[in-house]
Amino acid sequence: MAVPALLLFVMFFIYPLTQGIGLSLTDWDGFSPSKNFIGLANFQRFFTDKRAVAAVQHSIQYGFIVPIGMNILGFIYALLLDQKLVGKNVARVVVYLPAIVSSLIIGYIWKIVLFTDGGALKDIMTFLGVGHLFRSWLSYPQEAMWVVIIINIWQHAGSVMIIYLAGMQSIPQELFESSTIDGANYWQNLFNITMPLLIPAIKINVITNLINSLAVYDSIVALTEGGPGYATESVSMLIYRLSYGSHTGYATAIALILLVIIMIPTLFVFSALNKKSVEI
Amino acid sequence: MKKTWKDHISMSARYILMLFICLIALLPFYVLMFVAFNDKSRPLSAGVFSLPDFTFDNIITAWNSGGMASAIANSVIITVCGLVVVVILGASAGYAIARFPNKFHKAIFTMFLCCMMVPGIINTIPLYVIMRDINGINKLWSMILLLSANRLPFCIFLYTSFVQAMSPDIEHAAIIDGCTPFSAFWRITFLLMKPINSTVIITSCIGFWNNYNQAVFFLQRRSVYTIPLAMATFYREFTTEWNLVAAAAFMGALPIIIVFLSLQKYFIKGLAEGAVKG
Repeated sequence: MAVPALLLFVMFFIYPLTQGIGLSLTDWDGFSPSKNFIGLANFQRFFTDKRAVAAVQHSIQYGFIVPIGMNILGFIYALLLDQKLVGKNVARVVVYLPAIVSSLIIGYIWKIVLFTDGGALKDIMTFLGVGHLFRSWLSYPQEAMWVVIIINIWQHAGSVMIIYLAGMQSIPQELFESSTIDGANYWQNLFNITMPLLIPAIKINVITNLINSLAVYDSIVALTEGGPGYATESVSMLIYRLSYGSHTGYATAIALILLVIIMIPTLFVFSALNKKSVEI
Repeated sequence: MKKTWKDHISMSARYILMLFICLIALLPFYVLMFVAFNDKSRPLSAGVFSLPDFTFDNIITAWNSGGMASAIANSVIITVCGLVVVVILGASAGYAIARFPNKFHKAIFTMFLCCMMVPGIINTIPLYVIMRDINGINKLWSMILLLSANRLPFCIFLYTSFVQAMSPDIEHAAIIDGCTPFSAFWRITFLLMKPINSTVIITSCIGFWNNYNQAVFFLQRRSVYTIPLAMATFYREFTTEWNLVAAAAFMGALPIIIVFLSLQKYFIKGLAEGAVKG
């Protein structure tokens, strides 16, 4: 009974994956019938291609900062909304709301908020008395990436929170009660009980965020389209652009490099957190 | 225990913080609606703290020129069909792997687990060649199969761990009564899978509905555009008309928000369940 699923998966996932390895060793342009084997030349080209190396840097910057920020913020949200507060269920729904909407549409929404001259943010900042600090951040290479990063952390903090909340609720209350009787304060409980028992939740959150963030595409498209210049171009974006621009073989090689870039930290985090996990 | 003034302060601090994070989450949506329902003649800087004009002109114009109707229809078709595929294929594969742990099943389970690490974007270019050969470019059916395939590893993982935790006694009883394992699955086990089905449906639904990374590559004709594609095209055509862009983004975001708010209990529970199982 596993065969239908296996067939579909092989056809649309495994087979293209193996084909990609073959394509990465050619100079194919995507449409012409000629496809010459050029060995590892595409991979060599990658290391001398400034635009590609920059794209890797952007993806790594984004791919490490976003998961860290998302997990810290999501964890704080979960700590807050795990307490006995009236309206916490409504707050959970509200905080999760941005995560349900496509990153692309979220990007356009923020573009309207940030929009250069007349955007709402400028209004709000003026209202708060800090209007002079407003800049159209998306048009500066350095700031643009940070705007993209902050917006993504904002969007997905809620989904990280939901997973931490589920983990926190599965911790038996007696543990906190008995340690409080023994004289532990809130922070000691947090670091000695909550955090160690949340390792499975941390693992899921960090690993899925890491994979998705290193392969980031649609969150950047709407906000900056990789610009200004190539300042926020991610590896995924470069792959798509190169493949449209008839560098198909080269683009496939970069896709495989991206896969390695994703696998190394993922496996590292996975084994590091596995060592730390505890059982009740 | 009597509450001290310290407790009161820390309690109010928590409520203020809660209010604050809700405001941060909602602010961009408020701005979006403000701009979408404002008259074009009114400059965007005319103050977000005032009331908008409550005009529907932008919504109507965006609806008529954005191909939103067909985009919503395509998104619904892809999401619903994709969900049917992942539930049927995922549940039966998860059942087989959990109940009959032979070498073959163990091997494919390991393969699915490893592939959870591979984002779909890696495959896109070689897939294009395959899609062209099977005449799958600009077709909804190929998009459905592709998105389901990308989703399968996670769903099979969820189903397998769910079935492993289930007692096989009822199925055994049914098999003794003359059921084949196949019909015992569909008639009994599948009906007991409701909690995990809802987790699979909810997590996959968000992924299918919002998919842009694959859609942008394989759906290049307006007639097959999904909501994110229609939105991106709309933005390129009307970049300077922010009221219209806001109206289109509002319509693009609205369907999933309505579904989410009306089923939020199941959403939050389903998402949490998936995490605990994982």
